[in-house]
Amino acid sequence: MIKAYINGTGCISPQNSIDSDWFFESINPAKGDYFDAIEPSYKEFIAPNLLRRMGRAIKMGVAAGNIAIQQADAKKVDAIITGTGLGCFEDSERFLLAILNNDEQFLTPTSFIQSTHNTVGSQIALIMKCHDYNFTYVHRGFSFESTLQDAMMLFEEGKETVLVGGVEEHTPNFVLLNRRAKKFQEASSTPIWKSTSEGIQMSEGTAFFVLNKTKTEKSLASVDGIQTVYNPKTSADILNKLHAFLKLHNLTLVDIDVTLMGFSDDVNFDEKLKEVLPSIEKESVAACYKHICGEYHTATAFAMWTAVKLIEKQKLPRVLAISDKTPSKIKHVLIINQYLGINYSFTLLSQC
Amino acid sequence: MDALIEKLKGQIIEQLNLAEVKPEEINPDSPLFGDGLGLDSIDALELIVLLEKHYGIKIQDPKDGKTIFQSLRTMAEYIKSQGKS
Amino acid sequence: MSQRVYITGLGMISAIGNNVPESFLSLSQSKTGIGKINYLSTRYKDEFLAGEIKLSDEALVDLVQDNNSALNRNSYIAMLAAKEAVINSGIDTNDGLRTGVISSTTVAGMSKTELYYKEMFEKDDHLNVLDTHDCGDSTERIADYIGNVDYVTTISTACSSAANAIMLGCRMIKHGQLDRVVVGGVDALSKFTFNGFNTLMILDREWCKPFDENRKGLNLGEGAAFVVIEGENALNLRKGKPLAEVVGYANANDAYHQTASSPEGYGATLAIQQALKMSGLSTSQIDYINMHGTGTPNNDLSESFATKAVFGNQVPKFSSTKSFTGHTLAAAASIEAVISVLSLQHNMIFPNLNFTTPILETGLVPETSLVHTPLNTILSNSFGFGGNCSSLIFKKA
Repeated sequence: MIKAYINGTGCISPQNSIDSDWFFESINPAKGDYFDAIEPSYKEFIAPNLLRRMGRAIKMGVAAGNIAIQQADAKKVDAIITGTGLGCFEDSERFLLAILNNDEQFLTPTSFIQSTHNTVGSQIALIMKCHDYNFTYVHRGFSFESTLQDAMMLFEEGKETVLVGGVEEHTPNFVLLNRRAKKFQEASSTPIWKSTSEGIQMSEGTAFFVLNKTKTEKSLASVDGIQTVYNPKTSADILNKLHAFLKLHNLTLVDIDVTLMGFSDDVNFDEKLKEVLPSIEKESVAACYKHICGEYHTATAFAMWTAVKLIEKQKLPRVLAISDKTPSKIKHVLIINQYLGINYSFTLLSQC
Repeated sequence: MDALIEKLKGQIIEQLNLAEVKPEEINPDSPLFGDGLGLDSIDALELIVLLEKHYGIKIQDPKDGKTIFQSLRTMAEYIKSQGKS
Repeated sequence: MSQRVYITGLGMISAIGNNVPESFLSLSQSKTGIGKINYLSTRYKDEFLAGEIKLSDEALVDLVQDNNSALNRNSYIAMLAAKEAVINSGIDTNDGLRTGVISSTTVAGMSKTELYYKEMFEKDDHLNVLDTHDCGDSTERIADYIGNVDYVTTISTACSSAANAIMLGCRMIKHGQLDRVVVGGVDALSKFTFNGFNTLMILDREWCKPFDENRKGLNLGEGAAFVVIEGENALNLRKGKPLAEVVGYANANDAYHQTASSPEGYGATLAIQQALKMSGLSTSQIDYINMHGTGTPNNDLSESFATKAVFGNQVPKFSSTKSFTGHTLAAAASIEAVISVLSLQHNMIFPNLNFTTPILETGLVPETSLVHTPLNTILSNSFGFGGNCSSLIFKKA
């Protein structure tokens, strides 16, 4: 079975993930009911004549892509695949408000052009002069997952190096409206997997990965499999599909050293994961991530970046752990993400 | 004319978000596109809106921008010729 | 791994009809759907033309017959076209085979968001509009409307979106991940896109004139189109009947400019060449090209150069059917896929309306009236912002 070897990563999140030495020390808490990404100074990654037009999602994505490519020392890539649930929302909102505030007059094209969902991927192509395959996935909690599925197929079709990533931005207005719609709740001292109330902490960020078909000395870990599950009826459905997924890779839950679970702090969305948790805890070591990265469409990209770090350091930071159990080794990491309790996914990573 | 050129410099820097460019660095006679300021076709459309917003001048055909936006001076001359400075 | 992939069902709604039979009638009568703006609320409604679906939101609600109040125009038209395709194909999503829905859209729920956005800051009444704003919403509404769908995803690569949805669907079948997929795209007309294209100054105030020397720009349209594609294994199992085969597809990037195409059409040339290579067909074996042909000065020149770069002096018969539908953005490639299959079925080339004078630099002349001719293979191009270039090749089944 085809594997995707991760040769480089770049991650911008509410934590200090942009620093390659950071390993979950000094965690930044949510700003009440949301997180902001910690953004780097973009000048070292992006030329000023390009930077002047870019919204934050574009800047974050291009910078993280750049970091991943540097780390992998990739001279070229054969495909650029981006996932984003909301796309360049800042520019969409700017253009929309200009329309509404000026009665459709004195509008300028820049924010409209930059609002297109595929801007991140196409800017990377433009900068790298990459004429190859370029796709942008925009399906909610499957946006990043789809990039991985696509990359695995491209490897079977003969491509060698693929850049994939997920990126999301929010705006003050978007936070405000969602808060009014009661989608959020303040982060509390109750662990995220034990929440009994509704609401998430909305967030943003990006993670990009250079994937290679063949293993090289740069390879940090491998993605062995990815599967999405749309709208499962029960937690038993999820577990059945999970067992079948692992079996496909000749594994069972006992082989999974750490399982990163996408608890979001919303009692309704997390309901089925909560029912799955005992089975995971029995045979694997359960951990979570959305209490430090927040909830957004492409949070799985942050989870995958986390998984690579765990494999690299062979250690599960206590801040991620759900129980006192410690893995004796970290060979296989499984990510079970959920988004709105409708989009579920399994991503399997291994030491290589 | 010089006052109009100075005013245009500020408006262009703002409209095109040229944070790295200082007004005194723009030569009124160097080309705005290509080698000079390095602007492109999207900037040309932004400049058309600038003329409409600040000077009430409407340009219907984007091709007209080519002659009007050769340099800051041609732009200022065009605004004068329309009696809109 | 490679099994053949067939188109087995068609569904479409656009300015030229609310379903496939109506669309075919308009096409074969050379009747454009582009006209005065009636439904979109814009201060420019008397200045520009558009290819609107001739139904109000209320009329669409009645057609869809779904009780979910959190729907928008984008979802309604997507659900109608996808359902038509499923019924047309005769597949039963309850038969245990793996069914996917791969849709695409550029502005998704914007047509509704823009109506209530400012109000949402003051009142709570329409906050649920936020839930239907994103691109994934209409895809999940389609999946739930069809029922028993195992896989969903959504693509957004500007005006080439649906071509990439079709391409991804074919690949997932060939890789054995799905047995059949409902693939396509949707974009409802919105103030947002209308004003966006207006700021780019590429809207024609009259009927668009693709490939004409005096073309001024495009007319925006709206629509949704879906096709059911099935692997030969699934098709044989139910003894279904194919309408056409997808024999080639390719995705390349122009990497030239965020919105404009390179003058020589480099990305387009790559996409056409790679699709041809995959199909195993020679350039002389392409019977007709359904062009991207938006009517903008930039696209049509660039596409003409790319066509000449690939086909030399033997350019096949071609036309742009955007002169019927307007440019429907994410839906364009799937609308044109449906039109291409109709062309293959009826051996008809639908005309490039409003053309009089060839482009000076290339001299290419499209078909300007309905042509009856045997058709076995059709190339369909779709290009978009961000340099996304995709080409598809369909073959008579």
